[in-house]
Amino acid sequence: MTPLLAAGSTALLHNALLVGAILFALGLVGILARRNLIVMFLSAELMLQGISVSLVAWSRYHGDWGGHVLVIFVLTVAACEAAVALVFVLQAFARTGRLDAAAWQALREATLPRAVDHALPASDAVPPRWPRLARAGVEPPTDEDASLEREHV
Amino acid sequence: MNGALLELSPGMLLAGSVTAAAAGLWLLLPRGAESRVARSLGLMLGAVALAGFIVAGRRLGGVGEDAVFLTVALVAVVSGAATIVTRSPVYSAIWFALSLAGVAGVLLVLGAQFLGVATIVVYAGAILVMFLFVLMLAQPAGLAPYDRVCNEPLLSAVAGAVLLGLLSLSIGRLSSDASCCAAPSKAAAVQSMKTGSGATGSQQQPAATIAEPADADPLAIDQVARLGGELFGRHLLAVEVAGVLLLAALIGAIAVVTRGEAALEHDRRLAGAGGRR
Repeated sequence: MTPLLAAGSTALLHNALLVGAILFALGLVGILARRNLIVMFLSAELMLQGISVSLVAWSRYHGDWGGHVLVIFVLTVAACEAAVALVFVLQAFARTGRLDAAAWQALREATLPRAVDHALPASDAVPPRWPRLARAGVEPPTDEDASLEREHV
Repeated sequence: MNGALLELSPGMLLAGSVTAAAAGLWLLLPRGAESRVARSLGLMLGAVALAGFIVAGRRLGGVGEDAVFLTVALVAVVSGAATIVTRSPVYSAIWFALSLAGVAGVLLVLGAQFLGVATIVVYAGAILVMFLFVLMLAQPAGLAPYDRVCNEPLLSAVAGAVLLGLLSLSIGRLSSDASCCAAPSKAAAVQSMKTGSGATGSQQQPAATIAEPADADPLAIDQVARLGGELFGRHLLAVEVAGVLLLAALIGAIAVVTRGEAALEHDRRLAGAGGRR
């Protein structure tokens, strides 16, 4: 039997492929379900991570540099994509004031129904409860002249 | 518990884990109303799915027992799941950074030292910080409604489960079907890595003088130098194209920003003129 972490070990290959598949599927769910444009991009990056893990696993299994080189190009393209996409996200935010993908649903096909938000629970109206701190220390005496003479803050 | 699980067939185990993962994700995805029961049930289902995946991984081979691999893979997967179910996008980005750390660990275990470090430097150092800058620029106060309600959580969880089920079933078939991917002969691999495509040819010693441990990774010797040799040797044209792509993205981003500002200003002026009339 080959050692577990040996180069041609099928066990390591399969486990790494499983990790890559899980990361890819998680990214898919995120990009389908979430509506915040930035979280959607994070999900796409998660999918790229899954691909990277799979590529490196195959590369190690075959003792070949192809997977490593491909991952380097994936990193490059991810950097480009993030720069351009974030510019578009900022422009979209400047126009609508929201990071919501549904803010652009006017661009959908004419035959598709309009997406309707679920009603949010009314519990939002409850103000947050802050921790209550005990009074401590003595208030220092204030020198009014000094506070008036200060030139800048 | 392990004993009962180990008697299941791997296919059943994977199918059960995938179903549990999908149900847990569906419960955990933001759906407006926060329910503590759904949350804890989702976390429990997620833990069950993880346990199922670990057992399935051990069935696929023994690497589940390798504690380092198990730990970094768990970090990557759990924080990846947290990335997509957290309400606040800032927390999402930070969970994604942790997931990147886990992925870098997996890459290190796989023997890709340069890529592990590059993932941390490029992703966590540059791309993620860019995401955080944009979040700081564009995040409204408090949790926005679109962060608290998501699109079709059930359908997306099912889609993810179908994809993951297909992938993991084919990985399982990979392990049973040995003919599809016979392990490469290690001696041949080592020999080809030594002779072929080496940029460090002058420094190479004769193969006989290098004492090879039995399980040596042929990629592990002089890794960064030989990766560089491969990258700038066989893939030189692709490197140039990637450089052009980076430049184009840089110029394109600047162009979109400036043109977009001008268009916004134009829109505002039009709206103002319409209002005055």
